[in-house]
Amino acid sequence: MNNKIIELKDVSKIYRRGSENICAVNKVDLVLNKGDFCAIVGASGSGKTTLMNLIGCIDNPSVGTVKIKNTDVSGLPQKDLTKIRRDTLGFVFQQFFLIPTLTASENVQIPGLFAKNTQRIKRAEELLDLVGLSERIHHRPGEMSGGEMQRTAIARALINSPEILLADEPTGNLDSENAKIVFDTFKKLNKAGLTIIVVTHSKELAKNADKIITIKDGKIQTD
Amino acid sequence: MKFYQFAFKNLIRSKTRTLLTVLSISMTAFILFMVLSLNRGFESSVKEDLVEGIGAHLFIARGGCPMDAASIIAQGGISPMYIPEEVLQKIQDVESIKHIMPFKIFSITTSDGMRTDIFCGVTKEVEQMKGKWKYQKGGWFPNDDSVILGADIAVIEQRKVGDKIYVEHFDKEFEVAGILEYAYNQDDGMFFLPLKTAQKLINREGKLSAIAVSVEDIDNLDFSKMEIKSHLADDYMVLTPEAIGNDVMNFFNSTRTIMFAVLFFTLIVSTVGIANTIITMIYERRKEFAYLKCVGASFHDIYKIILYESLILCKTGIIIGISSGILLSSLFEGYVRKFLLTSYISQTAEIIRPGFDIALITMFIVLVIGLLAATYPAIKISKIMPMEAIRNE
Repeated sequence: MNNKIIELKDVSKIYRRGSENICAVNKVDLVLNKGDFCAIVGASGSGKTTLMNLIGCIDNPSVGTVKIKNTDVSGLPQKDLTKIRRDTLGFVFQQFFLIPTLTASENVQIPGLFAKNTQRIKRAEELLDLVGLSERIHHRPGEMSGGEMQRTAIARALINSPEILLADEPTGNLDSENAKIVFDTFKKLNKAGLTIIVVTHSKELAKNADKIITIKDGKIQTD
Repeated sequence: MKFYQFAFKNLIRSKTRTLLTVLSISMTAFILFMVLSLNRGFESSVKEDLVEGIGAHLFIARGGCPMDAASIIAQGGISPMYIPEEVLQKIQDVESIKHIMPFKIFSITTSDGMRTDIFCGVTKEVEQMKGKWKYQKGGWFPNDDSVILGADIAVIEQRKVGDKIYVEHFDKEFEVAGILEYAYNQDDGMFFLPLKTAQKLINREGKLSAIAVSVEDIDNLDFSKMEIKSHLADDYMVLTPEAIGNDVMNFFNSTRTIMFAVLFFTLIVSTVGIANTIITMIYERRKEFAYLKCVGASFHDIYKIILYESLILCKTGIIIGISSGILLSSLFEGYVRKFLLTSYISQTAEIIRPGFDIALITMFIVLVIGLLAATYPAIKISKIMPMEAIRNE
């Protein structure tokens, strides 16, 4: 049975800065299977975020193909990419992007609003419970710690039951204790079958993943 | 949580800015509502006072300019042109005429300059001519030194039948012979005198301001008009009350044009102001919108959020603006009456006439303004790429 959920073949991303061409991702081949917990590590500017953006249908490759669940997303129009981002992918960023006037539950519901998920209120409460925030459902971001805000953001990423969770430096704004809680949450979600890709510069935290990909100058060093 | 709740909660993030935007929209709605109410109220008041209130089918006036006639008939304007009483003899035999009411009308400003009183010398025919001429108390003049008071003037002067009333300008005392019922037109604010007395007071014996005529067959008004005209010299005009009403309105047309031009520019400034606020509001949140795109918001979802925000602002502004308009209309009316219109229409006339239809028009225009103001920023931000969320500034 084909277990591949993400497949990158000969993918490059070239940016133009003035007269100079910058190759942020250079001829990358990568396959991730369902249920993988993968950490992408590398120095600042190594191309790890660009790689995640390509996987997350946020950016298009200059060369090569990106397949999500066997669908080539490289040339898809924005409308179809939006659907994939909404239904198949979940995003967690270093910045929490929580709306200050909304409660934790309402923040979690937002992607559900776009997916017209009628069960979003119940589902938001379940997810907040899953990330250990059942007591914080009606709290606003201003009343929560950084770790709690990031866990709220994780719950929000899961509202539409994605198959892949993409996290870009999710612990970048957190202390070590909260960073550990976030990674423990990822492990718990991964055990439940979720495919997780985490971009981090912390090798220590990356050790929590099953698979570590090191990227340097846009090229994968270890897979 | 639904889209409109999401939009509302976005708006309360910056309470002061939201409040100021709502205030600006409510001011727009208020101005629009008041100007439209004033326009309708003034037009209707003139029509009711001149067309319906006087009760005449035709007016005979003298002079080359219909505006003079309108001015004289409406508010006792001063004109060197007058009608000699002999004219009454000339039209006496016109068959289509039912009643003839000669009158002399003039206005006097009180010595403190605070009030302009309108005096009208009338003959007994006024009782047949004016449908609304009914006595609250008393009756017709028993002698030349008596006066009949309009309902409002009786209240203002606090006089009852039999009381004396002193007119400083003429250094003369009159006895109140009758008080009229409310006619809700210019008559409510008038002093009625015997025609001869009125003429004598201003040294215009034998001279009339105009002659009001009612005809036997209203459907043949044009024929009556021609018939009367044929009995008069060329410098006489035979006018319908509608024509006089239109002349008064024409007199105010330049004012109305300026008023609507100011309103138009106010609406443009308002649209630009609202657009500017929405643009600022949106651009401050561009990363957030990009994030929403990352998590599956479509072009239409983002567009919907912005439009909902704009609609909430507009609806709140409209409710406040129209409510203020209704609540403050009497205050505004007092202001307008004091500075703009004075005696062209009666003191009891409602010159601000708000209504459900005007509220609907206001609502429609302000909503269009709100949607226009929001459309450009909404389209612009809806096209934002999700990449913007992760791009470091």
